[in-house]
Amino acid sequence: MERQIINKRKRVFSLQPNKNPNELFARRYVSHLVPALKKINMNKSSSKTNHQSFEKTVKHEVDMAFALSAQEFAWSRFLQQKLLSSPHDDLISTSSYPSEILERSSKKQGGEKHQDRDEEGGEIKKRLKELQKLLPGGEEMNMEEILSEIGSYIVCLELQMIVLKSIVQDNTS
Amino acid sequence: MLEGLVSQESLSLNSMDMSVLERLKWVQQQQQQLQQVVSQSSNNSPELLQILQFHGSNNDELLQSSFSQFQMFGSGFGPNYNMGFGPPHEAMDECISRTSSCHMEPVDTIEVLLKTGEENRAIALKNKRKPEVKTREEEKIEKKIKVEAETESSIKGKSNMRNTEASSDTSKETSKGASEIQKLDYIHVRARRGQATDRHSLAERARREKISKKMKYLQDIVPGCNKVTGKAGMLDEIINYVQCLQRQVEFLSMKLAVLNPELELAVEDVSVKQFQAYFTNVAASKQSIMVDVPLFPLDQQGSLDLSAINPNQTTSIEAPSTSWETQSQSLYNTSSLGFQY
Repeated sequence: MERQIINKRKRVFSLQPNKNPNELFARRYVSHLVPALKKINMNKSSSKTNHQSFEKTVKHEVDMAFALSAQEFAWSRFLQQKLLSSPHDDLISTSSYPSEILERSSKKQGGEKHQDRDEEGGEIKKRLKELQKLLPGGEEMNMEEILSEIGSYIVCLELQMIVLKSIVQDNTS
Repeated sequence: MLEGLVSQESLSLNSMDMSVLERLKWVQQQQQQLQQVVSQSSNNSPELLQILQFHGSNNDELLQSSFSQFQMFGSGFGPNYNMGFGPPHEAMDECISRTSSCHMEPVDTIEVLLKTGEENRAIALKNKRKPEVKTREEEKIEKKIKVEAETESSIKGKSNMRNTEASSDTSKETSKGASEIQKLDYIHVRARRGQATDRHSLAERARREKISKKMKYLQDIVPGCNKVTGKAGMLDEIINYVQCLQRQVEFLSMKLAVLNPELELAVEDVSVKQFQAYFTNVAASKQSIMVDVPLFPLDQQGSLDLSAINPNQTTSIEAPSTSWETQSQSLYNTSSLGFQY
């Protein structure tokens, strides 16, 4: 294991970088996101953009890095397609996350006890539909596929959060 | 003679290469031979018969342990062989006490043997490639639990499904005591007695088992799912969690956008810091998860080495972790790795 001291920070290399899939994803994500952010930075200074579209661009890059880092999964391909097809300037649908869905699920929890005994299968189907909307590409999957893909999607989301948090913390502290 | 029997064949048969059918035949042979030996002897102690029958009835899943018990049994016989079966009562008591973790089945075991033989054959014929298991005894246990659950009239998804499955069990199965059986690593869908064994219901049952397996995996991932039971509740939790995560990502990306102008990013620095964050954040909350191999298929570039991924593997970070600690931060909790695949 080599250790190089660069500017009082230590760089560490793992002997088997690809062994842990979390590491792999995290590394890929960083390698996608950081250059994209730098590029945005450079472009921003040149062109005159308002803050909102800048945010959207950043969000787009974040999602793009996310999709590119997890190529093994079906949802990432769907996400990529969606990102590539929707133009930059429009409001990307992935960013308008589920305020509606929140309301709906809270209503459902209220009525759930009454419906419990009657519409068991219907309840599950409703929830599956919502899950379909959350998961990129969920519309085209059946129940089993959704369940398999959701697991990996959740894990990758968590990892993405960790990376983003560390980037943000790096620069605020 | 008996020692020779036991040592030779049990050794060869301890390897799991044998199919269920062969094992069954072997056990049957053993039993016949043993029974011959026993009948030849002067004393026929009831405990002997019990042990034989016990071995017979549990042959399908407990083969490994029953082999070892055979060995013990044989060794119990060995030194006392010439002396008849009076003294070996102690040896047999030992054997019985060693086997006491499993209940003794009642005496109609020959029927059971035949039935399990038939079942095994049916299973061997109808096995799917990715099968899911319930042992007979576990089915019994589950059926008992479900009978109670039914009276409570709580109809949640899973228990509902299993209720309908279990309802066609015959009384014969319920009359046998529930014995503890170890689960094999692989799983079959087993046709219960009296249940439809046609392709469709088997396929459906396999499908349902797959789904419940995936739900269990999700239960481990999503925090807070343990308290909720039933498919609908769990799906609710999952949905909430995914929404929560997505919102957080959105928030963080907004924050990033705000900070972006002042960012001084270097990929190497970010990776170092990020791994620190990874270890500290993740280790606290999660437990190790059973790997569900289809979830991480081989990367097209071949960089993901699945064979190295192990459910309880912590060694993958033990090597780098010692070097992390030379850094100023001492926050690591590397003993329990968060996500494991």
